[in-house]
Amino acid sequence: MDSLYILIPIAVVFCAVAIKLLLWAIDSGQYDDLDKEAWRILMDDEDAQPREGSDRD
Amino acid sequence: MLTRTDTEHCYHCGEVVPPGATFSAVIGGESRPMCCPGCQAVAQLIAGSGLESFYRLRTELNDTAPPLPGENLFLAYDKPENCSDFVTEIAGSRVRAQLLLGGISCAACTWLIEKALDSHPGVSHANVNLSQQALSVEFDREQLPVSELFQRLLALGYDPHPWQLSEGARLIGREQRAALRELAVAGLAMMQVGMFGIALHAGDIQGIALEYRGLMRWVSLLIASVVVIYSARGFFRNAWVNLRHRRLVMDLPVALAIGLAYLASAWATLLNTGEVYFDSIAMFTFFLLLGRYMERQVRHREFLRQTDLQSLLPAATLRKEGDDWKTVPTRSIGAGDVVLLRAGDTIPADGVLLDGGGAVDEAAFTGEHLPRSVAPGEQLSAGTVLRDGGGSLRVDCDAAGSRLATMLSMLSRGGDKPALARLADRVAARFVGAVLVIAALVAAYWWHTDPTRTLWITLSVLVVSCPCALALATPAALTAATAHLRRRGLLLVGEDSLETLLRCKRVVFDKTGTLTRGELRRRETRVADDIDEPAALALAAALEQRGRHPIAQAFADIAPVTGLQDVEVVPGRGIRGRFQAQAVAIGSPAFVAETCPALPTAPTDPGHWVALVNDRGLLAWFALDDTLRSDASDTVAALKARGLGVELLTGDASDAGPRLAQELALDAARIGASPEQKLEHIHQLQAAGTPVAMVGDGLNDAPVLAAADCAFAVNQATDLAKSQADAILMGQSLAPLDEAFAMATRCRQIIRQNMAWALGYNALAVPLAAAGWIPPWAAAVGMSASSLLVVLNSLRLRHR
Repeated sequence: MDSLYILIPIAVVFCAVAIKLLLWAIDSGQYDDLDKEAWRILMDDEDAQPREGSDRD
Repeated sequence: MLTRTDTEHCYHCGEVVPPGATFSAVIGGESRPMCCPGCQAVAQLIAGSGLESFYRLRTELNDTAPPLPGENLFLAYDKPENCSDFVTEIAGSRVRAQLLLGGISCAACTWLIEKALDSHPGVSHANVNLSQQALSVEFDREQLPVSELFQRLLALGYDPHPWQLSEGARLIGREQRAALRELAVAGLAMMQVGMFGIALHAGDIQGIALEYRGLMRWVSLLIASVVVIYSARGFFRNAWVNLRHRRLVMDLPVALAIGLAYLASAWATLLNTGEVYFDSIAMFTFFLLLGRYMERQVRHREFLRQTDLQSLLPAATLRKEGDDWKTVPTRSIGAGDVVLLRAGDTIPADGVLLDGGGAVDEAAFTGEHLPRSVAPGEQLSAGTVLRDGGGSLRVDCDAAGSRLATMLSMLSRGGDKPALARLADRVAARFVGAVLVIAALVAAYWWHTDPTRTLWITLSVLVVSCPCALALATPAALTAATAHLRRRGLLLVGEDSLETLLRCKRVVFDKTGTLTRGELRRRETRVADDIDEPAALALAAALEQRGRHPIAQAFADIAPVTGLQDVEVVPGRGIRGRFQAQAVAIGSPAFVAETCPALPTAPTDPGHWVALVNDRGLLAWFALDDTLRSDASDTVAALKARGLGVELLTGDASDAGPRLAQELALDAARIGASPEQKLEHIHQLQAAGTPVAMVGDGLNDAPVLAAADCAFAVNQATDLAKSQADAILMGQSLAPLDEAFAMATRCRQIIRQNMAWALGYNALAVPLAAAGWIPPWAAAVGMSASSLLVVLNSLRLRHR
């Protein structure tokens, strides 16, 4: 059971990292438009002729 | 050539293709019908750019595309000083532009716009925000001039406007991100603390070494501290601010519960005794924040669409400089300038018409959709639209002094809605008072009998009375009701719209565009003896095909005859031409009398009478009328059946108003009211103690909507009217209005049940806790079950 003294702090660190990442994503505007993102993945899949080079997403 | 059936619809916008039209575009290897040259041009451009999968992906039809103007109207924006408010420089000629786009109907539109712009070598990044309908694009203005960017968007069938983020909108954007951050932290922390919470609860039952219990409590304390200090700070701030103003609001019991449960748990952790509630704290905070976030999301969206003076006027105007007409930004126009007006233009400033003439649509001020004929010397107002004709205008005053600016400033005057104490806050005030008194009595009792237990028992009373269920009672019911109404075609924007709706005793309707469709239809045709009705209609349709006046719309559904020659459109008056070697004309009686002097007098029956003549005599009279929405009379009847007064308040001074009031059996009708008089009328009703619900659509309704206790805007309403409304009808039907009243009543019932339950639970649990009989785990379970019951009860509103 002593392993708890290592595992629990590790879990807390992971949680802190996850919060940090999520806050970064929010601040960089990735959650500003919740309506579009749900669709976007479908859009790019359906693109019949992907253009070379110019597709950044 | 395509074979056409009678009910063919445009592949782009879904409108009925007018008979005889031959517009088409090849999409997906097939020729598709198009209703107008505008849609055809857009569809051909989309297909030609290899983006035709747009049509497969879209989930909504597009708006009908207006034909592209022959010249670039946005050239003024190529000078950096003219566009500094929405174009920001990044480095050198690289800039970022912020635009609002009209006509975005679904996610596929954002894909289409981004792809189409990205394919231009000058564009480095284009991003369309679907919920805000806004475009942010980074590009090189040497390679892609700003005017060219506007032109490209227009060519795709979207209507670009410069977007200056107002300070208010910026603030809301920041608040929204901050709310999401708080929610994210609370959510992740809730999972962590919940994990330890399960271990601790299991430990309570099975037994757990004190050493490990201490470890888990300390870690929970650490994470819960983040939640309390970061995520829940809004509750504390709000409670404190209101307390200082001597107001007890719902946030106060919330803040007390979170604060006390946290302090008690921290105390227990420090002394390694008692009980901890960290998991409840995190969960409670998360769910309350989630409800508020979703509620704000809707309001945020509508706020961004608020219109200012700039966006109601055209971006650029042709101004006379010497002998030339120069394109200049509208805002640089001042008194004394002479500007050119062309058919379809929005008039850029208040002024006097110098020459020319035409038909001016003054719906912005009068609400009347039938244009007024104007001649030189007459006064025109900024923001009205020249439907046909043209001329030049001498400007009287700059934009800030215009009638339009005056009306917009009325918004702020009319904008203070009567303040209403929310039901939840009134209950909260009494609740907080009662809990504090009981806690004080309990503490006093135990201090005298057993001082060592005083602290823990008092704390447990406060924690057991945790108002989770009470705090959730109202938002849970409102969220469920909002979701239900949204599916039925009514978008609730205002926070308290359902609560205020219940107080309304009178529903006031605007006429044109609200009770009626706001477009002319033929109501009656009276033909002369020597011609039959289809022939008269076909000839009228052929003449009106050339017109841009709204009257032309009334004939758009008829196949025109061919062989019409020498057609001449006289702006604001009528149209004439030659058919089978005879002069023919359609228009007002005064106009057609020039072709046919022997014209009999017009019928005196109500309606707008238009005559069709040839040089020998009258062919037909057409009575045109604005038609009622199909369910207007049902909705009015249903509202009256609820005991509400229904009245008409319109800017139209004609006899159409009283006629309509009689037809629908309205309680009162007030016609010919200016926006100022409308506002005064609402204030009078309110002063007499009658809360008012207002339904409107036009610019001229916006101040009244802002002042009404509860305001509805119809689907086609101007953005300004929508921005002032508490609820927006999303379809053509008025029926959701009645549904909103029904829902408001049921929602209040559910809220009362929720509160009764929450208070009843407390009435039972608090005495037990005061006696020291409730073990902490039972308090925690009771609290969660009580909240869950409230949420489930609220969900009943969604079904039925």
